[in-house]
Amino acid sequence: MKKLRLRRLLAFLFAFALIAAACGSSGSDNASTDGGSSDDSADDSASSDDSASSDDSASSDDSADGGSGLEGTLRVLIHQNPPGVEFMEGFNADFEAANPGVTIDMTVVNADDIPTVNQTRLSANDIDVTTISVTGFANAVQPYMTGADSPYWQQLIEAGLLMDLSGQSYLSNYDQAAIDGSSFDGGTYALSLGRTSYSGMFVNTDLLADVGAEMPTTWDELVTACEAVKEAGLKCAVAGGQDAWPVFVGTYGLLGALYPDQQALVEGLWDGSVTWNDDQGIKLFERYDYYANEMLDAESAGLTGDSAAQRYAVGDIAFGPMGAWNAGPVADNADFAWEYIPFPGSDNAADNQTLFGKDDMSFAIAAETPVADLAHAYLAAFSEPDSYNAFANATNYLPTQPTAALESALGTSIAPILQAGNFAIGFEQLFVGPKGAGQWANAKDGSLWMYNGDFTDPTEAANQAQADLEAGLGG
Amino acid sequence: MSAIAEPTPIEVHPGAKKSPNSAKPTQSGTRQKISSYAMLGLLAAFYTGPLLVLIFASMKTLPEFFKDPTGLPESFALDNFTEAWGLANFPSYLVNSLIYTIVATSLFVLMSVFVAFPIARGYVKGSGALLTLYVVALFLPPALIPQFQLILNLGLFNTRTGYILLFLINPIGLIILVNYIKSIPRELDESAAMDGCGYIRFVWSILIPLIRPAIATVTVLHAIGIWNELILATVYLTNDDLYPITRGLIVFEGVYGSDWPKLAAAVLMLMLPMLVLYMFLQRYIISGLTSGAVKG
Amino acid sequence: MAASPQKNLFGGGRQRLYPWLLLLPGLGFYFLIGVGPSLATAIYSFTDATGIRGLPISWVGWDNYDEFIFAGARSRDNLDALQRTLIFMVLVTTIQFAVGLVMALLVNQKLRGRLVFRTLFFVPVILGVAVQGLMWKLFLRPGGGPMHEIFGLFGLESQFLGGPNAFYWVVVVQVWANAGFTMVIFLAGMQTVPADLYEAASVDGAVGWQLFKNVTWPQLTPAVNTNFLLNIVGSLQAWMLFLVLTGYRNGTNVLGYVVYAEAFGQTAASSFRQGYAAAASIVLFLLVLALGMAANAVVGRRERKYMS
Repeated sequence: MKKLRLRRLLAFLFAFALIAAACGSSGSDNASTDGGSSDDSADDSASSDDSASSDDSASSDDSADGGSGLEGTLRVLIHQNPPGVEFMEGFNADFEAANPGVTIDMTVVNADDIPTVNQTRLSANDIDVTTISVTGFANAVQPYMTGADSPYWQQLIEAGLLMDLSGQSYLSNYDQAAIDGSSFDGGTYALSLGRTSYSGMFVNTDLLADVGAEMPTTWDELVTACEAVKEAGLKCAVAGGQDAWPVFVGTYGLLGALYPDQQALVEGLWDGSVTWNDDQGIKLFERYDYYANEMLDAESAGLTGDSAAQRYAVGDIAFGPMGAWNAGPVADNADFAWEYIPFPGSDNAADNQTLFGKDDMSFAIAAETPVADLAHAYLAAFSEPDSYNAFANATNYLPTQPTAALESALGTSIAPILQAGNFAIGFEQLFVGPKGAGQWANAKDGSLWMYNGDFTDPTEAANQAQADLEAGLGG
Repeated sequence: MSAIAEPTPIEVHPGAKKSPNSAKPTQSGTRQKISSYAMLGLLAAFYTGPLLVLIFASMKTLPEFFKDPTGLPESFALDNFTEAWGLANFPSYLVNSLIYTIVATSLFVLMSVFVAFPIARGYVKGSGALLTLYVVALFLPPALIPQFQLILNLGLFNTRTGYILLFLINPIGLIILVNYIKSIPRELDESAAMDGCGYIRFVWSILIPLIRPAIATVTVLHAIGIWNELILATVYLTNDDLYPITRGLIVFEGVYGSDWPKLAAAVLMLMLPMLVLYMFLQRYIISGLTSGAVKG
Repeated sequence: MAASPQKNLFGGGRQRLYPWLLLLPGLGFYFLIGVGPSLATAIYSFTDATGIRGLPISWVGWDNYDEFIFAGARSRDNLDALQRTLIFMVLVTTIQFAVGLVMALLVNQKLRGRLVFRTLFFVPVILGVAVQGLMWKLFLRPGGGPMHEIFGLFGLESQFLGGPNAFYWVVVVQVWANAGFTMVIFLAGMQTVPADLYEAASVDGAVGWQLFKNVTWPQLTPAVNTNFLLNIVGSLQAWMLFLVLTGYRNGTNVLGYVVYAEAFGQTAASSFRQGYAAAASIVLFLLVLALGMAANAVVGRRERKYMS
């Protein structure tokens, strides 16, 4: 009796599941067909999928009828970074003042949630201008990366959810590298608003002079300077060690110095011509170990990224291996002379000239936005050289418009490096792990492993990294 | 499944005097008392410690905090509170949390009584199968992914309605109700029916008052779950105006995470209304759980 | 199982339909939001769905399961997460059970201030995971937090949530946050124990531990069972504290978090892999089901032993 009832129940459930599956897949098939031709999809999506934002699109319909003047609500998404948010709030107020009838509805989310929120809001057609990425489009899956999963932005482009901005006049305000960096498969899907460098290191030049140490240009000189500083009773370096980020970020420069051609490193790892545990790899891990356990002061453990910068500015610490975005707090609080230099990780001074970094914040327009004209006008206004220059200086991003220049102390410190063309996209942005690779395959975080005590022996860590990588390549 | 589906509810001995507190004989009374207090003190320290640290931190300036993160604050400055208050939309987070919790909980409880009663009594065909289904559902995989597609297709993404919809189910709550209703004698139904009492009238004015303890339990369980939810709020709500406290606080942490004094002030400000609310409701919460949960 | 079908006593005519009509809203939502999506998860797990509107979904058979369980070092990480999920469950279930029981025994005595203690222990439950997490992040701040100072007294050092033992600190916070709930359910059980049982036992000369063992414990059976099951199911699915306290990182991930991270682009690869995530959550489901059944069998035997 009981058994019989259970079987009937299961049959019922199975039927329900089939219905759910059938409905689910048919819905997405429709979406994919109209996603393919992104130009005419706007109107039918407004009628079918999109009811969450019905009030917004209703107001935008009015603007379409109205004709020339800009009207409607523009839904904008940006990530949380205090100076950037502050600038955008001011910019939005100005834009609204200049275009009566326009309302900007801006949402701020944590940078970590950028992929999730883009997925959900673009899928729900609930956004017009979005911060599509804070890491650029450099990690596209390359032809040699067989079987690798596409990063989320690539999935979003392939789904036809982002608008191709090619041919828009405001694009020409940006430098070619920025445009190339936001292009994929022949289209330009984003506006790169700035670059940032994570591989450098603040150097307290006053302190070095006091202890009689030289400005380091090679790894050995860095070690010598560090020991001298410690001997004098001062601290060698701090970084934010509390949240497992960004304590390891400074060593992206170490990785860059030891492998100046980062693209070649990625390809080499994939084809097996480079391994994490060859001589160079072991050297990398030994230096990670020194960085994590000798250079960094114990105080790092209690500091977040921001507070590490504030702590560094007190003045009793020689080096601050941190991202360029920390220049604000350092400049505001430090009453000593400092410079921001590429991490001297190589024995060869010539390899220690390059700052590695990424394209940071970038704007994209939703392919199905009902207010495309308004979205373009918004980006055009943002891209005006004066406006952009103010943005770059507010956020300390390294400008992507050739006419803009950072006036800050950081700008002065790194201007020569940028002018010499010594800026490159770092490994973090280029590497895509093979399917099946383990969690240790990406050795960019190696200094964190040594810092956390996940490994105590550098060679062991290097072997593990290679084994985890090969597990993906071999399978 | 048997334990959940059909526990043998203990009869509260009608003759038993009102709950004697673990009536232990008091020969070795004082020694036992001292050791009890010692253990309670230890536990209390474990429970108040994090709270005290939070209060201290909230009254310090940032440099003061860096210098001495744990000690007493030098002065009882409330600047952090006013500043933190101005930095985020706290009143709106609170109101949202209350709306989600109250609306979803009352809807759920009301609907569940009408599900639980006929199942408990076997007034609908297949009630046994339905109950089994609820029990199995305790273990069903998190439905996050298809649920997301569903809400999206219903056009309820990033809306209050959509978010509330997610909380209209709770198998544990239903099972508790069913079990409790089973302990209400069936003769009651019979005599009510004899008197010509209708189904709705019976459930509304006779059954519901009788199963109040179970309803209280389920209400508490369900409300706590909604109040605590963070993941669904992250996935389904993208607009700051719609955030409940949990989400709002995590976003606040993302921005001001390194300014512990301000963050601590924000946490305390959001705790306070919950604590006040709890003080008012604790009698019901504890007695609700007391009377219903052990039968589930 | 439940009561066998009964005649609806409440009148004829239209009234006969009322039980069904009024049952439908609750049941309907249950199918729509609960059972339906849960079952659809099983179907998703055989596809390469991304959750992004506009990308075609295709059937990939067992590929997701194959990748989850057998592909290279990734599967090792997944099995580690699985193992960690189990360890988390065992630790949280047992510790929370014990702590909650001790608390209940303590505050159930006639002691001055027991209401204050009772309230205090229950407070974390109502604070919510965000507040709980932030409090403990501050309490466990390495380099200056109170726990750091306490460790310092013993000459110890730890990075707490940033270090290799982060996982165990999350266990501590999870127990801290929920033991009050366990306590209240035990308290509830204790209040149903009739006083005459204690009197009878003490007349027989039973004291302290014997009283507990022979009277309290058997009488607590329903509360024990409830706590046992709630703790197991709860701890297997609880991972929000990991999100707040440690974030997604090597060495602390539990399965529930893996599912979320894979589905919503929170992994290092930042792809949306909802099909794969669905497969992971089915694996989690089978695990929960197996353990739930086993626990239930144990509990059921206990119940028969004590309650018959």
